[in-house]
Amino acid sequence: MGSYLLKRLGQSVLTVFLTISTVFVLIRLAPGDPAAAYAGPLATTEDLAKIRASFGLDRSVVEQYLLFLKGILTGDLGTSYSFRSPALDVVLERLPFTITLALAAILITTVVSVPLGVWMARRADTTRELGANVVTIAGQSMPDFWSGIMLLTVFAVLVPVLPASGFATWGGLVLPAVTVAILQIALISRLVRSEMAKNLTAPYLTVARSRGVSERALVWRYAMTNSSIPVVTALGTRFASMLNGVVVVEVVFAWPGVGSLVVRALETRDYPLIQATVLVTAALAVTVQLLVDLAYPLLDPRVRLGKKVSA
Amino acid sequence: MSTTHPGPARVRRSEPRPSAVTAKHLARAKVTRQRRGSRLKLWAGLVCTLLVVIPVALARVLPLPGPDQQDLAGRRLAPLVDGHLFGTDQLGRDLLSRVLHGGQVSLLVGLLAVVVSGVIGVVLGASAGYFGGWVDTVVSRLLEAQLSLPLLMMLLLVVALFGPSIPVITFVIAIAQWPEVARLTRSLVLVEREKPYVAAARVLGLHRFAILLRHVLPNVVKQASLVVLLLLAQAVLLESALSYLGAGPQRPFATWGRIISDGQDYITTSWWMVTLPGLVIVALVVGVNLLGDGLRDRARRRKVSTP
Amino acid sequence: MTRSGSGPELSRRTLLRWGAIAGAGVTLGPLLNACAGPTGTPGPGTLTLALNRSLVSLDNKLNQFDAAVTVQRGVRQALTMVGQDLKPRLVLADRFELTAPTQWTVRLRDGVRYSDGSPVTVQDVKTALEMYQQVNGSFIAGFFSEFPTVVPVDDATFVLQTERPIPVLDYLMANILVTPSASNRPEELQDGIGSGPYVMRSGNRGTGNYSLAVNENYWGAKPRVPNVSVRFVPEESSRVVSLRSGEVDVIDSITPDSADQLAGLPGVRITRTPSTRINQLFYNFRKPQGHPLADPRVREALTYAIDGRSLVQDVLVGSVSQADGVVPTGLEGAVRTGEYVHDPKQAKQRLDALGVRDLSLKIIWESGEFASDTSVMEAVLQMLGQVGVRATLQQFEPGGDILSWRQGKAGDWDVLGNGFSSPTGLAVSILQGMYAGTPEKEQTRDTYQGYVVPAIAAQIADASAEPDATRRAQLLSDAQKAVWATWPCLWAFVPNAVLASRDRVGDISLAPTNSYDLASARLEG
Repeated sequence: MGSYLLKRLGQSVLTVFLTISTVFVLIRLAPGDPAAAYAGPLATTEDLAKIRASFGLDRSVVEQYLLFLKGILTGDLGTSYSFRSPALDVVLERLPFTITLALAAILITTVVSVPLGVWMARRADTTRELGANVVTIAGQSMPDFWSGIMLLTVFAVLVPVLPASGFATWGGLVLPAVTVAILQIALISRLVRSEMAKNLTAPYLTVARSRGVSERALVWRYAMTNSSIPVVTALGTRFASMLNGVVVVEVVFAWPGVGSLVVRALETRDYPLIQATVLVTAALAVTVQLLVDLAYPLLDPRVRLGKKVSA
Repeated sequence: MSTTHPGPARVRRSEPRPSAVTAKHLARAKVTRQRRGSRLKLWAGLVCTLLVVIPVALARVLPLPGPDQQDLAGRRLAPLVDGHLFGTDQLGRDLLSRVLHGGQVSLLVGLLAVVVSGVIGVVLGASAGYFGGWVDTVVSRLLEAQLSLPLLMMLLLVVALFGPSIPVITFVIAIAQWPEVARLTRSLVLVEREKPYVAAARVLGLHRFAILLRHVLPNVVKQASLVVLLLLAQAVLLESALSYLGAGPQRPFATWGRIISDGQDYITTSWWMVTLPGLVIVALVVGVNLLGDGLRDRARRRKVSTP
Repeated sequence: MTRSGSGPELSRRTLLRWGAIAGAGVTLGPLLNACAGPTGTPGPGTLTLALNRSLVSLDNKLNQFDAAVTVQRGVRQALTMVGQDLKPRLVLADRFELTAPTQWTVRLRDGVRYSDGSPVTVQDVKTALEMYQQVNGSFIAGFFSEFPTVVPVDDATFVLQTERPIPVLDYLMANILVTPSASNRPEELQDGIGSGPYVMRSGNRGTGNYSLAVNENYWGAKPRVPNVSVRFVPEESSRVVSLRSGEVDVIDSITPDSADQLAGLPGVRITRTPSTRINQLFYNFRKPQGHPLADPRVREALTYAIDGRSLVQDVLVGSVSQADGVVPTGLEGAVRTGEYVHDPKQAKQRLDALGVRDLSLKIIWESGEFASDTSVMEAVLQMLGQVGVRATLQQFEPGGDILSWRQGKAGDWDVLGNGFSSPTGLAVSILQGMYAGTPEKEQTRDTYQGYVVPAIAAQIADASAEPDATRRAQLLSDAQKAVWATWPCLWAFVPNAVLASRDRVGDISLAPTNSYDLASARLEG
């Protein structure tokens, strides 16, 4: 168990390291000059050269890379060009907002998709379930920017009950979280449905039913607990990917999170900020994924750590 | 089993035996319902998909004004006004024409991306599953790494790097999608590898590569290709998200994401500029998803029924 | 008989389950802690502004965008200020006179002090000038042909001495914000105090949210609005929706179409004024000698292809005016020099007469350069097509390498969509920035799209150093007419500065520099 943990930890660190290195090289290869974005329209070539030197961009890429690695070890990820303050601070200032959004979305997803999935499983293959099936398919077919704009129009413009942007009141959390949740609800409820359907027709359940256990207990105590394992791991995985993937929703709703930060950082070629964002979000996502993977055998005693689970 | 069993009085064969299973029971049986469900999904999916794909494919032939033809006097006309079925946009261009022509680009990108990601995914997944060892480790690490990558950001970066042309965007979407194909192929190949015919081929002296190529892959490809339809849906969504964020082919090309992002500023006065293109995307993606779902249900059913 | 009760297996499972829940709690706990709560709605006594760019600092040494100026000057002030009529008004100084061609005498107003009560001193002005000079990539430095030196006369009076005459120094000094010299540095200040009517109570650079409160020690008339809250809302549609619902009180830099949308709504007021910015379709002047675009007659012929009236009325919804000079005619020292005429037949005739056939143009611009830029470009494409000129568009995303293209170091292009503003309110600033290119500057590609006409550069240099007002006006007028005769633009227009506010905000005296005085804002109800 200990060696497996170490191995997984090592692999996660390697993943983050590879990610950050790829991004480091890519952004320096991409066209675009951070000095130009920094300086403004009247800057002369000389000014730009001075600015580039002050950013340390006149050194070779290898040198910059080594300095960057040294910086990570000391916790200094450089100073953001566009915010003029430590890049790590900027990211950490905005990270809580993305976490809030992701947590709210996961909460909504769980609360809606679990009962929905159970309902669909119990009425598997009836016409009503077919209708629900189509609805969930529609849910995962909507581009998130489009559903975001539609929700915004209906609930913030036509019937102005919710705020349109930002996070001034708790109401401002509703629309972005719902937009993110739509896709997740579709996916998770289908997963719940298929797992529950599998369990509801399993032999052990038939035996329990024949022994007189109530339908309610059957569904919620027996079938649910066995289905919960893949569902919980799926929820964890979706949470990890949400931390990176809510960019579009953050842009639509002017949500002050890390996703919209990334878009802005790319526009200004703010290298330290891009690097800091990637590092933090990748580390967070990998950590969550690692925790999910470690929790799996805790939840399901049939699985032994280290053995490859059939994907 | 019943040789010694004293049978009942001989019953004449011509009369049907009474059975407790009625036609109504059969109709309500799980299998019939499943079959009906999958057939319904197939048909509905096909209808939805063709509803979008056929007009898009025929975009140049249909009697519509050009997608870039501006009419500054007729800006932002509502749908069904002046012969514009979807209305016009902020420069007076016919929205339906722009949506259909833009759909050509989006569909082309989606199809190409799916083909490329399918090829990459099958090759890598099959190698990982069949050869095991370090090949498997490397591929699995890559799969896992991709999950933690800030995907959209990397895609934006690559597009910024190499320019927003169709090959680049196709490549970028293919990179985003190969893990799913690879994962599925890998697990399928892992199962196939243990089957007797593979052992038989080895005994016969066939090289490992040849076994993989000539025997294992054909058995795996059919099932792996079912996921391709679902990937097409995802590819279309990803392409529209990219062009919404600005990383699309050069103007005045109309891609779906860009039409929606342009129209976002007019949402309160000209709702059709955002709603209608979005509905077209939804119709296509729903159709493809339904089609993929229906095909998968049918395959599963057939797989279950064979012993 | 099977026992149906719980056996040892179940209890171990339960133990594992509880352990997992505990583990989940341990990991979720800090995660929940890491959540952010809402930033809170401002109360009724708060003026809420939604800016389209993130306000990074309350100091203007580096990039400043128009809306930032308003907030920055709410906290920090300069010696003078460019008012609504584009003439300088005295703020921290109460005397600012040209006492000799190269000498300005300035006296600090009696009683001006910072928010902590300490007085504003001559040393602070001296340090401020030095800091602005030293900071890398200063936006302001570009407007000063040279930086004056401060020579103190007594406690409150000093002289600004220059080598060559700078007759418009009072306009230029409006951009030098004064901060206590002990805390002033050659970079944008993140905190620190100013002498303005407001102080920063809290600010989050990352999210662009700031909260200002009234400066209790303000030396002037106290502002009427007790609190100001600044938010960053990048999406135009979000800003518009927030204004409609009353979440924010003032939004700036809105596109003509959004202004149109908001115009009829109850509770919303639109304020417009011609701005100090000119948006142009500027030709590439780095073409080899035989190229059609190197000939001013070809450049003139092409301008006949553009239907400016339709662009102004239909595409830009009447929120701009076609340029009738090389700089916005509202600026100090600007004159009307000509007009853009739409006559496609003339265009074709002239092009044919000049032997230009099968011309193809490449138009480049950076996304977001001016409002509705994509629509204008797409319309221009069509108009050029109608006179037989094939055009292609290339849009650059912000952060892309348009700079290397503009410097002629990347691809070949013909027309650039660009906007240029004059925060000083002076015509000469734009003339210096665009048309005063010299062959030396062209060596380092520091000219404006390669525009080098030595005679015009000399005229502009003379005009900017001429102390006599009438003579200066004459020289400037000659220079502008000379520039117009070279036909530098395919088309140009002057946008309006547009502000949308809720009715409860009183009259906002919007200046053409797209900023307004926070201290004079009012809130009703």
